[in-house]
Amino acid sequence: MSEFLQHLINMLVLGGTYALLGIGLTLIFGIMNVVNFTHGVLYTFGAYIMFIVVHQLGVNFFLALPLAVVAGWLLGAAIELTLLRPLRGSDIDTTMLVMIGAWIAMQSGALWIWGGVAKSVTTPFPEAPLVLGPVSVSWLRLFVLAAAAMLIVVTYLLINKTKLGCAMRATFQDRDTASLMGVNVDLIYTSTFAIGSSLAAAAGALLGPVYVIFPQMGDLAAVKAFAIVILGGLGNITGAVIGGFILALAEELGAGYVSSGYRDAMGFLIIIAVLIFKPTGLFARSERVG
Amino acid sequence: MNSVRLENHMIRTFRLVPTIALAVALLGGAAYAQTIKIGVNEPLTGAFAASGTYVVNGAKIAADEINAKGGILGKKLELVIEDNKSNPTEAAAVAEKLITSDKVPVLMGAWGSSLTLAVMPKLMEYETPMVVETSSSGKITTTGNPYIFRISPPSAIEAAAFKGIVDKLELKKVDFLVINNDWGRGTAEDFSKMMKEKGITVGAVETMDQGAQDMSAQLSKLKGTDSETIIVTTAVDQLTLIFKQAAALGLKKRIITTGGSQNPDQIIAQAGAAANGTMHLTTFLPWFPDKTPNPEATNYFIAEWKKRGFDFAGCTESFRGYDGIRTAAAAIEKAGKAEPAAIKAALWDINIKGLNGDIVFRKSGPEGKESGQSQPNVYLIEITDGKIGMKTL
Amino acid sequence: MRAGVAILAIVAFASVPLWLRDPYLMNALITTGIFIIGAMSLNLLLGFTGQLSLGHIAFFGIGAYVSALTSLGFDVGLPFGLRIVHVPWPPIVGFVLAIVVAGLCGYLVGLLSFRVRGAYFVIVTISFAEVVRLVALNWVELTQGPLALTNIPSITVGLPGLGDLTLRTKLQNYYLVLSVAVVTYLLISRLVHSHFGRAMRGLMENETLAVSVGIDVTKTLTLAAVISAGIAGAAGSLYAHYIRIIDPEVFAFINTVTMVIMVITGGKGSLAGPVVGGMIFGLLPVFLRPIMAPEAQWIAYGGVLIVILFVLPRGIVPSLALRFAKPRTRAETVAPVAFSERDAKEHA
Repeated sequence: MSEFLQHLINMLVLGGTYALLGIGLTLIFGIMNVVNFTHGVLYTFGAYIMFIVVHQLGVNFFLALPLAVVAGWLLGAAIELTLLRPLRGSDIDTTMLVMIGAWIAMQSGALWIWGGVAKSVTTPFPEAPLVLGPVSVSWLRLFVLAAAAMLIVVTYLLINKTKLGCAMRATFQDRDTASLMGVNVDLIYTSTFAIGSSLAAAAGALLGPVYVIFPQMGDLAAVKAFAIVILGGLGNITGAVIGGFILALAEELGAGYVSSGYRDAMGFLIIIAVLIFKPTGLFARSERVG
Repeated sequence: MNSVRLENHMIRTFRLVPTIALAVALLGGAAYAQTIKIGVNEPLTGAFAASGTYVVNGAKIAADEINAKGGILGKKLELVIEDNKSNPTEAAAVAEKLITSDKVPVLMGAWGSSLTLAVMPKLMEYETPMVVETSSSGKITTTGNPYIFRISPPSAIEAAAFKGIVDKLELKKVDFLVINNDWGRGTAEDFSKMMKEKGITVGAVETMDQGAQDMSAQLSKLKGTDSETIIVTTAVDQLTLIFKQAAALGLKKRIITTGGSQNPDQIIAQAGAAANGTMHLTTFLPWFPDKTPNPEATNYFIAEWKKRGFDFAGCTESFRGYDGIRTAAAAIEKAGKAEPAAIKAALWDINIKGLNGDIVFRKSGPEGKESGQSQPNVYLIEITDGKIGMKTL
Repeated sequence: MRAGVAILAIVAFASVPLWLRDPYLMNALITTGIFIIGAMSLNLLLGFTGQLSLGHIAFFGIGAYVSALTSLGFDVGLPFGLRIVHVPWPPIVGFVLAIVVAGLCGYLVGLLSFRVRGAYFVIVTISFAEVVRLVALNWVELTQGPLALTNIPSITVGLPGLGDLTLRTKLQNYYLVLSVAVVTYLLISRLVHSHFGRAMRGLMENETLAVSVGIDVTKTLTLAAVISAGIAGAAGSLYAHYIRIIDPEVFAFINTVTMVIMVITGGKGSLAGPVVGGMIFGLLPVFLRPIMAPEAQWIAYGGVLIVILFVLPRGIVPSLALRFAKPRTRAETVAPVAFSERDAKEHA
């Protein structure tokens, strides 16, 4: 039983960051219909920013986090402006391939600049875990969960309560009509990509110190993000959040009770199962963003 | 840290110069016979980039040392270094290029077992020997390829070396947590066999995917078993994560790592207090040069490594590149000429003092087409209070 | 005119071993050729039915494993105490079985995934490839897992009256790959210009309209998937018997990406596209290797990809065809149709 409780705790912590990754991608995928292969790179980027800011510039850990988010936002906007906007109107696979090219180039750039040796970020949290009866959880991970939750709430408010969010939702529903109603679709696209990217960078900035930082770290994260998007439905933030936790739960229980080798397969098996039985995702009201 | 980056930048940029010169020479059709070449087939990009780079840097130290002492057979030693991109298809293509285009008479490579396995058919095809410096899969020396000469230990040899230590540690029941590739699974298999012979119970065998970063699920499961020891086999990045996550879960069992890719310094730096109490089966002792079989050479190697500004943590992998090149060079000297067949024959006759033991090749594999396998030493170290010490038994 | 160009190309390719003596470049051409066959099969799905399949390497890898296991033999236990022992068969049988089994998998994937489209289809195909990789990695008893299948025999061809010929040298393998590639090209060409091909293109351009004239969506797409997967399986088999070692790394995503790059830069929906794209991106690493540091090579690779997509978004072959075609033939050129967002949302 205590093992099960431990899995549950692990799942909560992991689920929060998976949710962040998923939300970012579902926004981009849902609103812009771009298969964003740079999502994993933004995750990696966020982590490396933490490393640079904390270790090489000596900035406080808690200040470094918002810096990483902002950096992710800027990089996302830059990618959208230079690579996606000129290709507006092209096929989905052309933009996808451009994203792949950018992914290859940026990941190799990270390898070139920082080398392949993993880096770690020291955190101000105590190493000894918080012990609650039979389960343990590290302070750092609790902080990550809290920070992720806060970011999720902020994003939710942004999408549902602001004018920008309203414009984004309108564009998702019907781009042409939104444009006719005066929405600057170009601006929305750039904002969407930037926000989505900043969330990926945030996930990386939070998880980088939990794990270690190396150039290929985003690859697995990106794949899981795709799984979460499927689970939750394109463009559905609530779905992405719940999907993130479901994926984390499936991984924990799958690795713990079925087979550790197939841990990362859990996500994929879920995807396939969902798509066989409920192709629009688990949450039927998936036609709207928010 | 900055100077390392700059240095790596410079090294990589300046590699352009000799490679362009080489290309020009090849294109010019001139038989550039003034140097003796050894081909180096290592992963410099892709998943294994960090390790491959360490090995290559160790190899360069060996090459420079040899050249400073007058080269081989009176000629300069030239390393032809190529990146196999951590990909078996590329490893085979690179071997093809080194042998047929660059005309190297002997190679060193290819780091990972599947990379080495992909190269092996090419060695047979072109009858060129290769010194295997890191790969650990048993298959490499047992499938009948007489062009393979391995200086790193397969897990069977590691298990045999560990046999002597096992009694003193009083192991009763053991779990395994291994990386899900040939190295990890091979270790679990060979060590399990050895332990069962000694009457030790083998409990759970958990695996983790090569790219996995969260082993909490596996560790939570192992926390609940009744074994007192966990044997862990994987590379330094995952080891760091395992120790941190184990500590966070309150897992208090004895942990012994194997495989020789541990980089304890990096683990201490990144896992901190979580690393205390862990033991490691390594093949090299850069921290205690006097305990190595060849203290003078160890000191020289470490001094050179530090002089070049490389990360000290990389010593536990780079020494293989050093030993590998010295092995190949010794064989060329003995053969008297830079020709594959002669070098292959000479490799059976060499006996040099490697950094972690004598390098002498014994026959391994099916009769008539044996590969060469050397038997390096294995040491048990322990991390206590952030410091590395030999485990006294 | 078209046929003339094709024949010229085939003759040119066939003559390569006569003047190219460098084994390293030959090796590069052979592996590139194998991936081009894979790319042509992907083009069938991507270019002619408009389905963005990113798990194509699964069929390639399945073909490789089936062919390798057929020719090596295996001994595996199944649930309920069953045990299957297979003795080694000639590799040529493995080649055929690879096509069959891969095609079967294509059928299953087709059934599953054609209920969804667009973005979802992408993700399903990625997931499928990952699951297959993990099965290959963990079902150690059958596939040897990460310990790899080694010593895979080269393909032996029985020539009537002349005895057996084992294709071991580069020259032989080159012609083997070239033959399979030519056959594949012809097969796809005939398919595309047939009634079935028109059905595929109709589906791609306007599905609602196609359905209204009686085209069975699922049947068409599934058949395309079967053929596409079967060809990929053949390529996988060639790979297994040439490189002669297979491990789960063959399913790595980067291999799918390689084929996708070949198809889209060359021009999806054009027959010659994958060949042109394949030659460029298969050989690009060879040319970059001597002039750049390893990391820089990858950056250049990504950069070239982006540049080509910006300058020639339809792909190289269609763009060139448009430029050089006579006005009448221009209208006949199969132009890939933009997958409009509305269509995507309707199917999401």
